[in-house]
Amino acid sequence: MAWASYPTREEVDFVVIGSGAAGGIMAKELSSAGFSVVVLEQGPHLRPGDFRHDEWNYTQTEGLVWGSRKGHPQTFRRYEHEKAELVEGAPLGYAHNVGGSSAHFSGNFWRLRPIDFIEASVRGPIAGTNFVDWPITYEELEPYYTKVDWEIGLSGVEGPWDPPRSKGYPCPPMPPKSSGVLLERAAKKLGWTAYPEPHAILSQPYNGRPGCIHCGFCNGFGCEVGAKSSTAVTMIPLAEATGKCELRTGCTVSRINTNEQGRVTEVVYWEEDGTEQAQRAKAVVLSANGAESARLLFLSESSRFPDGLANSSGMVGKNLMFNGGSNVSGLFAEPINAHKSVATTRVIHDFYSIDPKHGFYGGGGIDARSLSRGLPMAAAMRGGIFSGARWGSAYKKGLEQEFTHTCSFNGHTTSLPLSTNNVTLDPEVKDKWGRPALRTTFMNHPDDFATMKFFMERSIELMDAAGAIQKTASYSEDGQRGGVHLLGTCRMGNDPATSVVNRYNRAHDIPNLYMVDGGSLVTSGRGQPTMTIMALAFRAADHLIQAARRGEV
Amino acid sequence: MSEPKLSRRAFLQQTGVAARSSLIALSLPMIMSASQQARAAQAMDAPMKALQPDEAAEFAAIAARIIPTDETPGATEAGAIYFIDNVLSTSHANVLPELREGLAALQASAQSTYGSASFHTLEPAQQDALLTEIERGSFFNTMRFLTIAGTFSLPEYGGNRDHIGWKMIGFEDRHMWMPPYGFYDADYAAKGE
Repeated sequence: MAWASYPTREEVDFVVIGSGAAGGIMAKELSSAGFSVVVLEQGPHLRPGDFRHDEWNYTQTEGLVWGSRKGHPQTFRRYEHEKAELVEGAPLGYAHNVGGSSAHFSGNFWRLRPIDFIEASVRGPIAGTNFVDWPITYEELEPYYTKVDWEIGLSGVEGPWDPPRSKGYPCPPMPPKSSGVLLERAAKKLGWTAYPEPHAILSQPYNGRPGCIHCGFCNGFGCEVGAKSSTAVTMIPLAEATGKCELRTGCTVSRINTNEQGRVTEVVYWEEDGTEQAQRAKAVVLSANGAESARLLFLSESSRFPDGLANSSGMVGKNLMFNGGSNVSGLFAEPINAHKSVATTRVIHDFYSIDPKHGFYGGGGIDARSLSRGLPMAAAMRGGIFSGARWGSAYKKGLEQEFTHTCSFNGHTTSLPLSTNNVTLDPEVKDKWGRPALRTTFMNHPDDFATMKFFMERSIELMDAAGAIQKTASYSEDGQRGGVHLLGTCRMGNDPATSVVNRYNRAHDIPNLYMVDGGSLVTSGRGQPTMTIMALAFRAADHLIQAARRGEV
Repeated sequence: MSEPKLSRRAFLQQTGVAARSSLIALSLPMIMSASQQARAAQAMDAPMKALQPDEAAEFAAIAARIIPTDETPGATEAGAIYFIDNVLSTSHANVLPELREGLAALQASAQSTYGSASFHTLEPAQQDALLTEIERGSFFNTMRFLTIAGTFSLPEYGGNRDHIGWKMIGFEDRHMWMPPYGFYDADYAAKGE
């Protein structure tokens, strides 16, 4: 197999910016339909054999997530009247490599449910928020969720709360871990239902890839055998095999150029050594993620688009949502060894929608996990959860007991979309290319807090029912300061005055520009958004292919 | 990557101790084989890249109080100081000046409190007393960060020798695990729910 190769000055059908969860799918779908495609990816093309269990490197030095130490600083503030502070690391966390964050995610794949798409009309509006219905329904997206199940490769079993599905899972669920067993048994005592977590990780060989070997290094690491269904091992090889797709790695896009007719004409980027290039294209698919796509639209401003591309609504960058969370950790009498195998094997969705009689909006799920991602160094850094000691013999004894004998029940919850929570360009801080740094402004809505607290309380009940000897409980009481689910910043909608892309992910303002990533999500869901990001990508590609064949792009 | 000579579980089984108990007092010589001890001793003489010998002795003494050697090996046997020296000469060179400043302050307080500016020659109780005073400060926390990293990172970075850190907490870096992973899922499989 060989990648296609296109001269930059020759117009290709599509440039896809980003090769992650959405970009990888767009590249594969468009090239399989016979179109010429160039994919631009900032990071390297890492293969399964490149990934290692190297916690120091992945979390402290090089790693997949680029922060200030790799020349990509970010700033953060709570409110728009404040000056944003430079933040160590990356408050908006995403992996820079082929496959994007689908290479380092935990692969927990929840579909949205019918209620997610129509929740605002069912619940009524929430004052001060941009909480609205989606322009599409669950039924419209369902075939594409099924496409994700079978083309990306999922493991699971239909649960009691599953939304209607047209087909089962291609692979059976992962074997339960001790943490999942504790959650399931506790749920049963309380009259709730835990069921096997669906994963974008293969439990057995499928589509030419091997099953999971349960090494335990999923979250934040790449899969060494290719069992994790990242687009790097599912979609990208298929795109390459078409002979119509060229993948250019180490390429950082600086702007998208438009002409006098207001159409996108070319994508300008730097190669790794700083050489500037511009790839001409008939249309552009922007799949750089919920933070970078918005930044690139701002950076591509022109006299015709003074507030950034596709931003006549003023909604680009706004409605940033992360999904909230809560954590309840417990110490148990017997070994759990939560560091082995996948992050989580059981999930509870009895509280998908919290009863409105509680007086706030929200919902979510609870799953069972390791503490500190099951990583020995991270666990030791955190240390002394139950001993209270941070160093010395007591600290050491605490670690000896805690690493193997603890697990946590984590809440994953809704975030409300607010105009005041957003991604913008920092006026002062620049990245290594001289581009303004990503500036995050974020403070949770009161209902987000109430929801996180609600889930923490349910998890405490579960932890007690599970028989924990000791427990700790927390949620972001002061507000979240970042996240890895980057949602809402290019929201989908029917009205060009209040949304950025239409129901097919096409920019309202620019007919040959598509934004396809987490930015499209209108509401946050309950956590685990990648399944929906991928389904939206398959759907957008379907529409784009048809429109292109009709000559409408 | 080489497999650990003896997994924690295998060790506990061999010594006839129930594997599920994790708070067992074991003497250091039992845990460290003679060859391991010899290797640790030999390595201590290896040249430093970023640190002066006297600095290395002081930093190693601090690391030895953060993860002490008691019934089981600690930061000393794990060779955390070699990790620290390694990253201070590479990825974390920028924190060396701050560490030197912090050490000078610690030595000044050792001098005024105990009449000796040499931290590593103090009694452990005296060392702990001095460190407790600064345990919320940035110097101590950088030392804590580096000591823990040096005890729990891959041995190729210089520390975690013979996987001493990992064995301490019951972690084993295997490329493959099969169920059962722990007590409760084994029980679940046995009972069918």
